[in-house]
Amino acid sequence: MIGEHASAKQSVGESIGLARLRWEAGPWSRLSVPAVVVAIILLVALPWLAGLSPIRNFVLHLMILFFLWGIVTQGWNLIMGVSGIFSFAQVALFAVGAWTSGVMVQQLGWSPFITMWVGGVATTVVALILGLPTLRLRGSYVVLLTLGFQELFRNFTTQGPNFVAGGGYGLRDVPKYPFAAWVGGEDAQVLFYFLALALFLPATFAIWRIFFSPVGMAFRALRDSEVYAISRGVSPFRYKLFLFGFVAFFTGLAGAFYVHWYGAISPAIMLFGTTINLLAMIVIGGWASFWGPIAGCAVLTVLPELMRAVDQYRILLLGLVLALIAVFAPEGLFPLILRHVNRLLGRKGRL
Amino acid sequence: MEKLVQALYGGIVYGSIFGMMALGLTLIWGSLRMLNLAHGSLYLVGTYIFWTLVTVAGVPMVPALLVAAIGAAVVGFVMQTTLLNRILGKPGWDVGSLIVGVGVAMALDQGILLIFGPRVKSMPPLVPGLFKIGRVVINYNYLVVVAVAVVCLVLMSIFLSKSRRGLAIQAVSQQPDAAQLMGIPTRTVFLIVMCISAGLAGLAGALLSTVYQVQRDSGSSAMLMALVVTIFGGLGSVKGTIWAAYIIGLLQSFLMVYLGAGTALPGVFLFMMLMLVFRPSGLFGVGEAQRL
Repeated sequence: MIGEHASAKQSVGESIGLARLRWEAGPWSRLSVPAVVVAIILLVALPWLAGLSPIRNFVLHLMILFFLWGIVTQGWNLIMGVSGIFSFAQVALFAVGAWTSGVMVQQLGWSPFITMWVGGVATTVVALILGLPTLRLRGSYVVLLTLGFQELFRNFTTQGPNFVAGGGYGLRDVPKYPFAAWVGGEDAQVLFYFLALALFLPATFAIWRIFFSPVGMAFRALRDSEVYAISRGVSPFRYKLFLFGFVAFFTGLAGAFYVHWYGAISPAIMLFGTTINLLAMIVIGGWASFWGPIAGCAVLTVLPELMRAVDQYRILLLGLVLALIAVFAPEGLFPLILRHVNRLLGRKGRL
Repeated sequence: MEKLVQALYGGIVYGSIFGMMALGLTLIWGSLRMLNLAHGSLYLVGTYIFWTLVTVAGVPMVPALLVAAIGAAVVGFVMQTTLLNRILGKPGWDVGSLIVGVGVAMALDQGILLIFGPRVKSMPPLVPGLFKIGRVVINYNYLVVVAVAVVCLVLMSIFLSKSRRGLAIQAVSQQPDAAQLMGIPTRTVFLIVMCISAGLAGLAGALLSTVYQVQRDSGSSAMLMALVVTIFGGLGSVKGTIWAAYIIGLLQSFLMVYLGAGTALPGVFLFMMLMLVFRPSGLFGVGEAQRL
C-alpha cells in the first residue's frame, strides 16, 4: 500500500516532516486525474441528476449524512487505524463543535457561517487539552481516558447550565443556515448539500495529503514500532498531538455543520451506539486504508435507510459482522473486494 | 457524623461491586492482553438470566445466582472458542480483540433488547429488611451483596496465589512463551481466565440487579466504572484492582454525600486523569515482570 515510492525513502532519511518531494513522486501520482475530475463533476451535478424534488431531497439528505460521517470516520481512521491511538472521543469532539457553534448562534446571535469556524477551532483546542495527558499513555489508558471524556461531556450537556443542556434535551431550535430564506424551502437542501460537499472535499483532500505524506509514514512507523520510530527521530507525542488537533478541527467543523443543518442536537448522540456505528464503518470498509472508511461510511449510511423494516436486527447483525470481520478479514471488506477486482482485471493495485 | 457513616457505607458497597466487575477485566487484561469491551454485556447476560429465573420461573435465589454466573461464563467460553482463539497470538491482536469485544457487545446488547424489550424491570431483594444507624438506612440486601463480593474477591486471590491453576494463570500472564515451554497449556489457561472473568461479570450483574433496577444500559455504565477501577489500580494487577475499587468507591460515595450526586462521575474522572498524569501506570503500577 505504501513504501515503494520515493517519498517513503526520502522521508525516513530526512527525519520526516519537511522532506521536499519530487513532483512526480508526490501522492497525486497514485490517482488518475480523469477519475477524480469525473467524480467531482458527478458530485456537483448530483442535485440535477437526482430527479424530482422529493426524491432529490432524500438522496441529498443521505449524501449530506455521508459527507458528515465521512469526515469523522476518515479522521478517526487516521487517528486509530493509521497511527494506532485508540481514541474513543471522536463523537464527543463532533459534539464539542456542534455545541460551541450552536450556543454561540443561540446566545450571541452571530451568523452560523462564522461560528462554525469558531466551533472547529474550539474543538481543536479541546482536543489539544485532552491530548496533553492522554497521548503520553499507552493503548488501553487512551481508550479509558477518551471514553471518560465523552462520558463527562455527555454529562455536562445533560446536566450543565440551561443554555447548554436545554433541560436534558440538548440544543433545540438552533438557527439553521439561512438557505431557506434565500431560495425557498424545497431548494434549501441543495445549498446544504453544496456546503457539506465544500467541507467534505477539502477535508478528504487534507487527510489524503497526510495519509500519503512523509508525516503519514511517521504515523505508521509509530504504530508499528514505536521504539524504532523514535530512534529515527520521530517524536511520538508531538506527532500524535498534531494529528489529534488536526483531525479534531474537521470533526468539530462537521459537528457545527450538523447542528445548523439539522437544527438540533441531543446528548444521546454521545451514547456508545454512535461511536460503535462509526467504528463499524471503519472496520467494515477497511481499517487503516484510505478508501476503507469512505466506502464503509457510504455502505452504512445507505444500508440502514433501505433496511428500515428490519432495523432492530440491523444492530444485531452489525455486531456479528463486526466481530466476524475482525477475525476472518482483519483488513476489512473493501480492500478484500478491491484485491479480487484488481486480480480479475489483471492490474496492480493503484488505490 | 451521619453523613460520614452514609458515605463510608456507600463507599464500601460501591467498592465491593466495582471490585467484582474490575477483577474480571484485569484478569483478562493481565493474561490475554485484551481490553474486553464485552464485559458490560456479560454483566447484562447475568442480570437477565437471573431476572428470568427468579421472577418468571420462580427458582430460589441462590441456585439462580449460580446459573446466572455459569450462563455468562458459557457466553464467554463461546466467544473465546469461536472468535478469539482464531486471532490469538497473531499480529493485530490488540485491534482485533478490541473490535471482537465491541461487536459481541453490540450483538448481545441488541439481542437482550429484542428478547426482553426496553422496559425497566425490578427485582425483589435477596434478603428483605433493614436497620438504622442514626438516620442512615442500612439494607440487609446490600450487606449480603457486599459479603458475596468480598468472599469472591478473597477466594479469587487465594485461587490465584495458591492453587495450581492459579499459578498457571500467573505464569502465563507473566511470560506466555516461557509458560508454554514449561508445559503449561496456554490456550486452556486463556479459556479458564475468560470463563472466570465472564462468570464474575455475570454474578456481579445478577447481584446488582437486586440493588439497582434491571435495565439494558446498566451494563455499559458498570463497565465504565470497572474500567476506571482497573486502570486506576494499574492494569493487570489484582491487588491494585481491589485497592482501587474501594478507593474509587469511597471517593464516589463521599462526593455524592457531600457535594451532590451530579459531581460523582466528573469528580472520579478528574481524579483519575490527574492521577494518570502523575502516575501513568496506575496506583500499583506493576512492571511487566510481575503482573497479577
